[in-house]
Amino acid sequence: MNMTGIIFSELYAGELGTFTYDRNMAAIPFGGRYRLVDFVLSNMVNSGITNVGVLATQHYHSLMDHLNNAQQYDLNRKNGGLQLLPPFATENVGANNRGKLDDLRNALDYLETITTTPYVLLADAYVVCNIDYRPALEAHIASGCDITMLATLEEEPSEGNYVSVMRADAGHRVTSYALDCTAKPGDYASMGHMIISRELLINVIRDYTSRGIYDFLRDFIQHEFNRGRLSINLYQVDDVVLRIRNVNEYFHSSLSIIDSAVGTPLFRGDRPIFTRVTDEVPCYYGVESEISSCVIADGCIIEGKAENCVFSRGVKIGKGATLKNCVIMQGSVVGEGASLENVVVDKWVTVTNGAQLKGLVSNPVVIRKGVTV
Amino acid sequence: MLLAGGQGSRLYCLTQDTAKPAVPFGGKYRIIDFPLSNCVNSGIDTVGVLTQYQPLELNDYIGNGQPWDLNRNWGGAHILPPYTQSKTESWYKGTANAIYQNIPFVDRYNPEYVVILSGDHIYKMDYNKMLKFHKEKGSECTIAVMPVSMDEATRMGIMSTDDNDAIIDFEEKPKKPKSNLASMGVYIFTWAALKQYLIDDEADPKSENDFGKNIIPAFLRDGRPMFAYAFEGYWKDVGTLESLWDANMDLLDPTDPINMRDSTFRIYARNYASPATRIDPGAKVSNSFVAEGCIIRGSVEHSVLYTGCEVEEGAIVVGAVVMPNTVVRKGANISYAIVGEGCVIEEGVKIGERPENCPNEDWGITVVGHKKTLPAGSVIRPKEIV
Repeated sequence: MNMTGIIFSELYAGELGTFTYDRNMAAIPFGGRYRLVDFVLSNMVNSGITNVGVLATQHYHSLMDHLNNAQQYDLNRKNGGLQLLPPFATENVGANNRGKLDDLRNALDYLETITTTPYVLLADAYVVCNIDYRPALEAHIASGCDITMLATLEEEPSEGNYVSVMRADAGHRVTSYALDCTAKPGDYASMGHMIISRELLINVIRDYTSRGIYDFLRDFIQHEFNRGRLSINLYQVDDVVLRIRNVNEYFHSSLSIIDSAVGTPLFRGDRPIFTRVTDEVPCYYGVESEISSCVIADGCIIEGKAENCVFSRGVKIGKGATLKNCVIMQGSVVGEGASLENVVVDKWVTVTNGAQLKGLVSNPVVIRKGVTV
Repeated sequence: MLLAGGQGSRLYCLTQDTAKPAVPFGGKYRIIDFPLSNCVNSGIDTVGVLTQYQPLELNDYIGNGQPWDLNRNWGGAHILPPYTQSKTESWYKGTANAIYQNIPFVDRYNPEYVVILSGDHIYKMDYNKMLKFHKEKGSECTIAVMPVSMDEATRMGIMSTDDNDAIIDFEEKPKKPKSNLASMGVYIFTWAALKQYLIDDEADPKSENDFGKNIIPAFLRDGRPMFAYAFEGYWKDVGTLESLWDANMDLLDPTDPINMRDSTFRIYARNYASPATRIDPGAKVSNSFVAEGCIIRGSVEHSVLYTGCEVEEGAIVVGAVVMPNTVVRKGANISYAIVGEGCVIEEGVKIGERPENCPNEDWGITVVGHKKTLPAGSVIRPKEIV
């Protein structure tokens, strides 16, 4: 495979409340047994990419722990494999992230050593999807453009802002490029994935950071595009794409995988999503359990009632507990007779017997990691 | 040294194309995960797995040993198949001969002690405690034993011991057992002693080269220090279809007799990348053990569902053991049965029967072998094996 993958693990960390108190965005649990990074990373592996760099700048212990030696992704390679790219110890360490180019500067040495791969896939980890990057690379090469953006075609007016919104001509050539705005029907919304040549990327990182310019999208892509010096090809993705940009999106995207229309294509058998193995025992469903529309990982003990919920590994639901529209992360315990509706419970939380928690569909209650309710 | 070459002929269709230790168990495991994990949890970092019968699946499964943390630079998991030598070539003639042929392997690691295990039991055991006992007693051969009923004793290797736990008598499948202490098939030997007995045993043309029939009796005859180590805990021979079904059902016992959930003594398994299990609207799941990657739309009760199974709308699964990646189509009914790996149970198929709907003498566990497709509407009666 002549493409290297670079994963950004921070974007939107600020919008995700307590989820990112002690982990970065890429390490947020999702789908019962995964972390967000697993999706992009597995897509890369399933597309034949064997060189992957993961950029991490803040509280990345949880991410490191999860990636481990990359054995689960088959990226513990002698040649290539997975490389975590933490910041260089410069005066910038701990400073606010100044932009993607600042992150990418940490990947400069890495990019320079990967001389066998002329292309780089830059990917944000906030996107949950199962896509093959090979046809995207082919389209990029065929287009002759400087950059190919992977994007979804929007059919409805969007509520929130996308990182970038594009319009394109019939030949998928981008004709307008806007940042941080809503999308109208017919617009293409970026999914934080782009293909660029390694050479151009290295030049841009060197040139821009030396001049103190760090915003990759605004200062490089948009600036150069608007002056006609950069051509952008658009690669339309029609697969399931879930964007996790804030707590609400996390909640709704998490529950959306229960629907087979989302869950089945996302977890298709020919392109599995890999994750860290924890050797939990299979889930036990008690005699009195009543489960409908749920996604449940290994190691759970379910003795209560649940509807439209996602349970991560090792969750315990006590007798008589009732849960509706809840996401319960690893190792959390919901006591007997507790009642939860529209709640997201982070890892290792104890919800005591009989506790009642009720959020709104539009605004779920979030319980932070490790607390007792 | 893990003896994993047995055919397991009493598991019939389940071991037709695979060795018994590779038979799936408990939702996401295979039988061999138990002795392998016991080794690792006991701090044993070098394990020889002796294969012979249908080794393909087993070789594949063990691979480099990584799932059990046995991918070591020195030691680790080694698959040891029979091999040809310059003058002779021979299959493993018996359990003792299998170890005999691998004396050079054991000698490479120059151990003081060797534990001999078999791949057909479900149990969690810290071999270290047994080794401590072995050393304290000054034993050369220590056999783990468990009390069993007198009825079971007639089918097993039975030890008689003195007050000091020394073994004074050993009988293989006695008609009139003198004690109820049955051998669990777990032996610790002082390697120097065992090696000599293996060499002598090999030189005896009349020997069957078997631990139970030859080596243990020889140790006993010569009055070598032999002790019985009493094990307390769950132990089950899953060498028959009934016992395999029983052991799976023990996973549903709320008291967790196997102690599966003890996170300080985990059972490791090779994991395949399957998503979390999905329970769709209209499904019913109760008193069941369900591994990951399943999709359930029908009804599952008192059952163990292995990784990647699918139960469609209106299908009913009761008291069943359904092995990995089996699909149960709409309206099919599986009662008190073992269904092998990768089967397709088409619409309206009826497998087995609840005991209350069937005369006692006609009732039994129904078994469907691996990778079978049962055509729509077919009926497999109780006790049938297909």
